[in-house]
Amino acid sequence: MNSVRPFAQADVPAVAGMFQRILRNVREPASPDLESYLADIFLGGSDGDITSSVYLREDGAVAGFMGVMPMTFLVRERLVRAAVCGTFMVDGYRSDPFAGARLMRAFLAGPQDISLSETANDISTIMWRKMNAAILLGHSLEWLCVFQPASFLTEMAASKAAVARILSPLARPADALLRHINPPAWRKTASPQRALPSADTDDETTADLFIRFTESFAARPHWQNHLHQMIAHARRKALYGSMVRRVVYARNGEPVGLFLYYGDRGRIGRAVQVLAGPGQTGAVIDSMLADADRRGLTALRGRTMPVLLEAMMGGPFLFLNASSSIVHARDPALAAPFLSGEAFFNGFAGESWSRLIGDRFG
Amino acid sequence: MSDDIKNQVRTFIIENFLFGDERYPLDDTLSLMENDLIDSTGVLELVSFLEERFGISLSDAEIVPDNLDSIERIAAFAARKKQAAG
Repeated sequence: MNSVRPFAQADVPAVAGMFQRILRNVREPASPDLESYLADIFLGGSDGDITSSVYLREDGAVAGFMGVMPMTFLVRERLVRAAVCGTFMVDGYRSDPFAGARLMRAFLAGPQDISLSETANDISTIMWRKMNAAILLGHSLEWLCVFQPASFLTEMAASKAAVARILSPLARPADALLRHINPPAWRKTASPQRALPSADTDDETTADLFIRFTESFAARPHWQNHLHQMIAHARRKALYGSMVRRVVYARNGEPVGLFLYYGDRGRIGRAVQVLAGPGQTGAVIDSMLADADRRGLTALRGRTMPVLLEAMMGGPFLFLNASSSIVHARDPALAAPFLSGEAFFNGFAGESWSRLIGDRFG
Repeated sequence: MSDDIKNQVRTFIIENFLFGDERYPLDDTLSLMENDLIDSTGVLELVSFLEERFGISLSDAEIVPDNLDSIERIAAFAARKKQAAG
C-alpha cells in the first residue's frame, strides 16, 4: 500500500533524481554533490520529530518528497518551533493525486507550532489554502528594477533561448543612448553621489548585523548557530552569479543596513536579503541599486517584505506575483504578526539561503 | 443512512469538482481518478468535507483510492468510520 514516512538516507538518490527532473527540469542524473547536499539540508539539520517526508508507491519506489527545514522563531519574544516547507515535489502528480495531498497533510500534522512556505507555486498555494493557511501578500511579490532596458530584454529572451544573446552587442549602445536621453528614474533619488556608501563585509559582521537589524520584528528567527551555517551556504549561487554582500554606512560611519545579491555584468541580478535599521530601508535599497548599476547589471530583482514594499512605493519598481509566501498555525496568535506585516520572513528566514535555490551542483 | 451519505457525497462532488454541472454521468462506481475529476487539491477538499460533515477523522493510511475513488467507496468508507466512532 502507498505510504508516507520520514525521509531517510536510503531515499537520497531517488529524491535527488526527482529534484533534477521535476524542479530543475534537466535530464542529467543527479550528481554526488547534489545528493550529499540534500542529505545535509534535510537530514543533517533535522530537529528530532520535525522531519522531511517521502511518499512511497506500492512497489516501494519514492514518488514524492516534502523537504522540511526546522527553525526556531521568536514570536513576541516567545520561542516557538517553525517548519519551513522547502522542496515539495511529486513524480506524476496527475496520475496519483493522493501523493501531494498526503504529503501536505502529514507535514501540517507535524509537531511544529508554525508551518511556513516561502515560494509556493500555484498548485501548492491552492493546497495550502485548502488547509486553512494564509497567503502573506506583502511577502509574495517579486520586485524588479531595470537599469538597462534593451540589455534586460535581451537577457529575458536569452533565458528562453540562449541564441538571443547574439543581440547583446546591439543592446549595449541602445542602453547607452537611452541613458543619455533619459537617465534611469531611480537615479533621481539614488544617484551614486547621493547613495549612502557601502563596503564588502565578512561572515562574522554579516551575522552580527542579521541579529541587530531583525530584532525589532515581532516574529523573527531565533538565529543561534544556524545563522553561521546559512551564511556559509549562501556564498554560492552559481546560476545567479557572483555574491555581492555589503554593509551600508551612514555619513557618520555607523552601519545602517546590509544587502546581499548575486549577479554579474550584463545579467539580471537576484537580491536575497535587504536588512536595514529603523527608517533606513529606503536608503539601503538606494545604495544597493547604485551598487548593482555600477557593476553593470541589467536589472535587479528580489522578493518583497512589507517593510521593503513600503519603502519601494513610488520608486522605479515593477511588481509581480510568481509564487506565494504562506503561514499556517493552529494558534492564531502565532500567525498574527505574519499577517500584520510584523514578521521577518523570507531569504535567510525562509529557504532562499540554501544552495538548492540558485546554485549549480557539480 | 448509507443512501443519505451517498447523496451528500454526490452533492459535494457535483458542486466542487463539476462546478454544479449535473449533466455529467456521475455513476456511483465511476472512478474519480481515472476520469480526471479529482486532483491533489480535490483530495484535500474531499477529506476536509468528510471530516467536517460526518465528524470523523482520517488517518494518512486511509487516504487511498480504495476508500475515496468513487461515490460508492466514499460513502461506504464514511459509513464505516461513523459506525466505528459510535
